[in-house]
Amino acid sequence: MKHLDENQHMRRTKFRLVLNNISKIIFMLAAFFGLFFLAVLLGKVFTDGIGSINMNFLTGKLSTQPERAGIMGAILGTFWLMLVVAPVTMFLGVGTAIYLEMYAKKGRVLDFIQTNISNLAGVPSIVYGILGMTVFVRAMNLGNVVLAGGLAMSLLILPIVIVASQEAIRSIPFFLSEAAYGLGATKWQTIQRVILPAALPGILTGAILALSRAIGETAPLVVIGIPALLIPFPGGIMDRFTVLPMQIYYWTLDASLVAEYANLAAATIIVLLVALFILNSTAIIIRNKFQRVF
Amino acid sequence: MKFNKFLLFMIMAAFAVVLAACGTDADEKDGDKTNTSSSGETTAPAEDAEVKDLEGSVVIDGSGTVYPLMARLAEEYMISEQENVSVEVSRAGTSAGFKKFLVENGTDFNDASRNIKDEEAAAAKDLGIEVKELKVALDGLTFVINKDNDWATEMTPEELISIFLADSTVEKWSDINPEWPDEKINAMGPNENHGTYEFFYEKILDKQDMDSTVNLQQEYSTLVNLVSEDKNGIAFFGFGYYVNNQDKLQAVSVDFGNGPVAPALDTISEDGAYADFTRPVFTYLNVNHAKEKPQVKDFAIYVMNNINKFAGETGFAPIPESEVQENVSFLEGL
Repeated sequence: MKHLDENQHMRRTKFRLVLNNISKIIFMLAAFFGLFFLAVLLGKVFTDGIGSINMNFLTGKLSTQPERAGIMGAILGTFWLMLVVAPVTMFLGVGTAIYLEMYAKKGRVLDFIQTNISNLAGVPSIVYGILGMTVFVRAMNLGNVVLAGGLAMSLLILPIVIVASQEAIRSIPFFLSEAAYGLGATKWQTIQRVILPAALPGILTGAILALSRAIGETAPLVVIGIPALLIPFPGGIMDRFTVLPMQIYYWTLDASLVAEYANLAAATIIVLLVALFILNSTAIIIRNKFQRVF
Repeated sequence: MKFNKFLLFMIMAAFAVVLAACGTDADEKDGDKTNTSSSGETTAPAEDAEVKDLEGSVVIDGSGTVYPLMARLAEEYMISEQENVSVEVSRAGTSAGFKKFLVENGTDFNDASRNIKDEEAAAAKDLGIEVKELKVALDGLTFVINKDNDWATEMTPEELISIFLADSTVEKWSDINPEWPDEKINAMGPNENHGTYEFFYEKILDKQDMDSTVNLQQEYSTLVNLVSEDKNGIAFFGFGYYVNNQDKLQAVSVDFGNGPVAPALDTISEDGAYADFTRPVFTYLNVNHAKEKPQVKDFAIYVMNNINKFAGETGFAPIPESEVQENVSFLEGL
């Protein structure tokens, strides 16, 4: 009993409890910090923008006159861009993942590819813009059209799709593919009938999240050169185009010319957020409904 | 069950491919259209095409100062004249715009808030591009200060210049006038991409070095915000950006010798009271493109015929009617 000084013990415990509470508060503040600013952002955007959202705004053509400006051109531009990005990244991304997970032999080459894919995922988006400008717009002479923008954007999100697909494929237990081999299936048959169907929900989730990143991205398109005023709707992937985030960018800048543009920018942000919300919810639904734990 | 999912995957993939294919198809047609319109007048007689429906695109880049005026004209043209022509207006800045203008298959027009430079004209010659300068409006170089600045509302050109010169002792307001605050002046302006910068450097500063502390920005909106939040801020740009922000900024009245003159649509002109800080703004036309593409020529004529109608509402003073007619007859003769 001599070893335990009651008073000192109590003091120490108290101190520890206080420290415990302080750290709890600090971490809670950290967690709410982001939420707080999200709330401020949403509040500001909605109060500024909701008044500008009407049928004409959603379906009309772009205009220099705020009261008749619409964003259908930007919506269609985003749509066409996704129509390029989605198939290109799905094919290349899933293809790469299958090769890396199913065919490539473990060793230096695989490590090299793997490391570089991780590196690519960290390359700033504006660099992809410069690449897209050099290769697609200039060298391939496509011009600043949907196809060029879409290919640059595909490169940007490709690493994300590859990594997500790899994870999805890797999470499939060996016994499934081994059972297939045991029945005499070839590698392709196994991939086609066992691996891909089982990995599909994971792959789709990753791909949709990557697409939603591409929808909100501006930096590569700023470099490729999107006209500040482009009124006609893009009719295909060889047309010049504008997208929702670019329209937000230009309207925000031009708010110094026409004050109402700020409200249009806010309204466009709402439209973009709704689109992203729908995409991300789809990803979550797919993940929760279809992903099976083996 | 697994097979079903694979089927789903295949259907989605097929769907994507089909959609993409449709897109390409639609596009090839579109591409063809532009090709035929650019490759010559074989499809439609040129004279007829001018009054009939045109299609294809007109690509404009260049000065951010001229942008509001050209954007307005482009929109009106598409609404009231040729709805199938796509006029695309960007604003990288005069100098940056010339880089896109002076290349193979470059832009059709380059808006400019200064004259074309000798080396740019030489580059055009090397590329075989015939360039036509079209004066579109008059702009008053406007110095703006914060709303709370109640001392520097009237200045002489020399005082204004001394703020921006590297070779001057002016750093605080009190260096200009002892009665003014003993606070540092925060001078700002558009950066080297802009013709406004070059006009200021060449014509106002007379090619003397600008102070390296001057905060040079790419976007005019940034300048508007900076000055509106900084009591000691002063910046220069085209009159149009001031007109649209009168609630946030005030313009410095300049005393050229006959009392202070505020920049306004009636003082900005070649012989008006604000003439010393008045400059013409231009759009440069690629004449080769105007000859090849009827829509480019048609739009150029439209611009000249309607320029004075839209100048005022975008913050520019109109140009003399005789100069308009001169350019119209040149364009019609192409």
